[in-house]
Amino acid sequence: MSELKRTQLFDAHVAAGATMVDFGGWEMPIKYPTDIVAEHLYTRHACGIFDVSHMGRVMVEGSEAVPFLQHVLSSNVMALDLNQAQYAIIPNENGGAVDDAYLYRFEEDRYLLVVNAGNTDKDLVHLNEQIKKFDAKMTVITGDWAAIAVQGPKSKEILQVLSGGKALTEPVKNALNTLDFEGRTVRVAKTGYTGEPLGYEVYVESGESAWLWNRLIELGAKPAGLGARDTLRMEACLPLYGHDMGDDPEGKEIPIFAVPLAKFAVSFSEQKGNFIGREPLAKQYEAFKRIMSRDFSDLSVLPRRIMPITLLDRGVMRQGMPVYKGDKQIGFVTSGTMVPYYRHEGEGLQTVILEETAKRAIGLAYVDSDTLEDDEVQVDVRGRRLKAVIPPYHMRVDAPPFARPIIYRPDEEEAAAASGDRTPKALDLINRAVENHLWRQEKCINLIPSEMTASRAVRLLCASDPSFRYAEHKKVKSFYDADVFYYQGTEFIDEVEQLLVEEMKAFLGCAEVETRCISGQMSNTAVFSSLMDWKNRLDRKHDAKRLGYIMNNHIIKGGHLSAQPMGALHDYIAIDPVTERHALVNFPVCADNIYKIDVEETKKAIDQYRPEFIIFGKSMVLHKEPVAAIRKFVDEMGLQTTVMYDMAHVLGLVGDYFQKPFQEGAEIVTGSTHKTFFGPQRGVIGVNYKKGELKYGLWETIETRAFPGSVSNHHLGTQLGLLMAAYEMNHFKDAYQKAVVNNAKSFAKSLKAAGLDVAGDPANDYTETHQVIVNVGYGAGPDVAMRLERNNIICNYQATPEEEGFTASGALRIGVNEMTRFGFGPEEFDKLAQIMADCILRGKEVGEDVAKLRAAYTEMHYCFNENQVVDALNTLARKSGI
Amino acid sequence: MNFPAELKYSKDHEWLKMLDGTTALVGITDFAQSELGDLVFINLPQEGDEVTKEESFCDVESVKAVSDVMSPVDGVVAEVNSELEDEPQKLNEDPYGAWIAKIENISGYAELMDAAAYEAFVQK
Repeated sequence: MSELKRTQLFDAHVAAGATMVDFGGWEMPIKYPTDIVAEHLYTRHACGIFDVSHMGRVMVEGSEAVPFLQHVLSSNVMALDLNQAQYAIIPNENGGAVDDAYLYRFEEDRYLLVVNAGNTDKDLVHLNEQIKKFDAKMTVITGDWAAIAVQGPKSKEILQVLSGGKALTEPVKNALNTLDFEGRTVRVAKTGYTGEPLGYEVYVESGESAWLWNRLIELGAKPAGLGARDTLRMEACLPLYGHDMGDDPEGKEIPIFAVPLAKFAVSFSEQKGNFIGREPLAKQYEAFKRIMSRDFSDLSVLPRRIMPITLLDRGVMRQGMPVYKGDKQIGFVTSGTMVPYYRHEGEGLQTVILEETAKRAIGLAYVDSDTLEDDEVQVDVRGRRLKAVIPPYHMRVDAPPFARPIIYRPDEEEAAAASGDRTPKALDLINRAVENHLWRQEKCINLIPSEMTASRAVRLLCASDPSFRYAEHKKVKSFYDADVFYYQGTEFIDEVEQLLVEEMKAFLGCAEVETRCISGQMSNTAVFSSLMDWKNRLDRKHDAKRLGYIMNNHIIKGGHLSAQPMGALHDYIAIDPVTERHALVNFPVCADNIYKIDVEETKKAIDQYRPEFIIFGKSMVLHKEPVAAIRKFVDEMGLQTTVMYDMAHVLGLVGDYFQKPFQEGAEIVTGSTHKTFFGPQRGVIGVNYKKGELKYGLWETIETRAFPGSVSNHHLGTQLGLLMAAYEMNHFKDAYQKAVVNNAKSFAKSLKAAGLDVAGDPANDYTETHQVIVNVGYGAGPDVAMRLERNNIICNYQATPEEEGFTASGALRIGVNEMTRFGFGPEEFDKLAQIMADCILRGKEVGEDVAKLRAAYTEMHYCFNENQVVDALNTLARKSGI
Repeated sequence: MNFPAELKYSKDHEWLKMLDGTTALVGITDFAQSELGDLVFINLPQEGDEVTKEESFCDVESVKAVSDVMSPVDGVVAEVNSELEDEPQKLNEDPYGAWIAKIENISGYAELMDAAAYEAFVQK
């Protein structure tokens, strides 16, 4: 070994008994005495730490730092916001890779570029040549800052001890932050090379690196070497330069688009201009798209691609081994080894990770581009042809906090259903429905805030005749906007719909109401579609422009699924050509209360993005939305922004005890009618546009996007039921709304007093709505919710704004609305709080106590219980045979 | 590091345990397993294979590399320890219990080292 470089942590590795090897000119730990298998497993179930200080680190700054980076990287640097990182490839003129890299923006005007250790010298020669054309400079800081990767499900917990409990970064991949770790400034990135859904890379000044390394070990992390780093990245299908990128085993250059990550790492944005390799990459991209559409007619540009490979026979694949399909060699293994994993049992959320481990031979292969997922292939393992397969992936990370190994298994065909006598099945279905109804209505306490049992009147009306009918209707201008019905026999339901519209206008306090959408989500879709149609109304000769910018609540900050691009916004939101992402900006939230919109920061964001559409509303909601303040600001700015409030969860709270959206300046309100409102399950749209106003045209568009845009039959039975619910609401709302908000506050205080960790602001009793959020510990949400269900308490687990996703949920979302309707008051909720604390904190079985408490409260309140009404309902039930 | 006295050792770090005058068990030494690191796979010989002294008759793989196992004697494979296929880590955990193969009709074992000589050999 000649003159190997050493990282800041070299002494720590030697002291720990690491086996040191030459890696890219650095003397690095390949493994510690624990050995690779244990280091891999420890990272997957707890937390491994890796010295990655050998990676080349370059700070780029100057007035043309961005144009320079756009020129030398494959990615779109303009898309990189402050405190974000992105994966990039450094292309050469041929569309091959000089190296791959990560770009971090910890500071507004400085970019940190991290490259592979073994390529650093070569990269610097290349980059130094290119930077001459730009007013920018590069400073190598490899020696100034050390880098430690902290990876695995316990990484967050461990690092949060050092941050004093402060949130590390936003809980999304590639988020960055600068933090104080026990008096030392560190830069934390939610990035890594292990595939772990929870993993960070921490940059620290060299002098503090040993301190940080040792502190992490004290807190329960264990050192892992380059051997485990390799097996972990292979299991995650992450490419390694020199294996799956660079040159193939025959010495030919691997085109960048042969690597699956290229899809994300290469941008052809106009702003990016003519960067190095753009032209060959554009050709590769065309070839890539053909191949992904299974057009294999011309594979000349992209003859082979990097794909995962799993050995089915016993053995181990290694880099360079030939891969065959039949007699034809189709490529090579580029990375291969045997990796360990924890076995698991059970299905879905009940999946339990066992202590028992096993191993599997996996890798990556560079194979002909017409190779498909599930193709059976063979690998020549030192003269033996072993069976292998191309799996879709080796591991998934969409159920955090754990990375889940996916063991290859072919799809099993489901047996086709046989024909024959279905009477026993029909009987069974009825019996089980009875059982379920009684359990949910008489034994269970339902605390799901988005649910509501409807009154007997509503339920009977829903089941009566209109439920089998159609009543399509449309306004016709020739008849002075009279509604024309397409079917006969609709006089009754016509009148019902008109009455419903009037009741809902009175309830919402607005000019117009559309009641035909059959869910809140459909109402949103109809509104989004209308807004887009309205935007394009004066130009029908081109493709319609989508909406953007749009401002909404981020889903992890409690935003509605239906107001996200993955939900109802999907087909209506534009892509910002600069960032190549959805033209979406989220409401900033208060630093000291993540459940509340930060009005002043929101104003700044509005000023910056000039959103054409603002959507208030949340599904995890503890506070009023600042509609009035934002309306005022939008008006002062003279913006043409449309302001909507998705009140799905809080529709039944519209009024004195919560918010009056139209008085505060909302133009459009959507909602679902079965959460805090009295059911049945439908949607509603209200607008405050009046005849003669410009935007009345938008209202007319909404009507046509409801019908024929969204529904043909609009579930007439439930529309009839909804009219009854609206009567109930308008009759009882004062008492009901007051009781709901009081009960929520009172329940929150009782839960807190019983020892549970209640989220929100104690100054307003933790909530201003029907909801209470209880923190039960990171990742414990699903378990606790299932335990409560076994004990007859139904609520749902929810990821808080600091968590990674639903399987990592650490909170319960609780609503008092339904039980308020069944007569619960502060006293009953206090009893329930004690029972829940017993179950959650002490693991007590409380099912009987719950059933007993529930049994005394099965009669519905806030509905018409007069004898006259009861008699009329009995007649309806008898005569309709329901 | 463990060097059981009843075994014979080769310079390629295999051990030999005589069962009778012509049959023996072979495996890898404690020193060998610690040098190789975690073993994750073994490619066992087959019954009936003729093995030649100082030539590979089997291979073992760690996460990082494959290594040949050299036969310490000439002979014929009478039986293999197929348990190791599922649990190659036994070679690390219990190197002298985890025999790889039973070899019969053996010859050429006279030159093998005894425990003391092998211990001195690995400490050189």
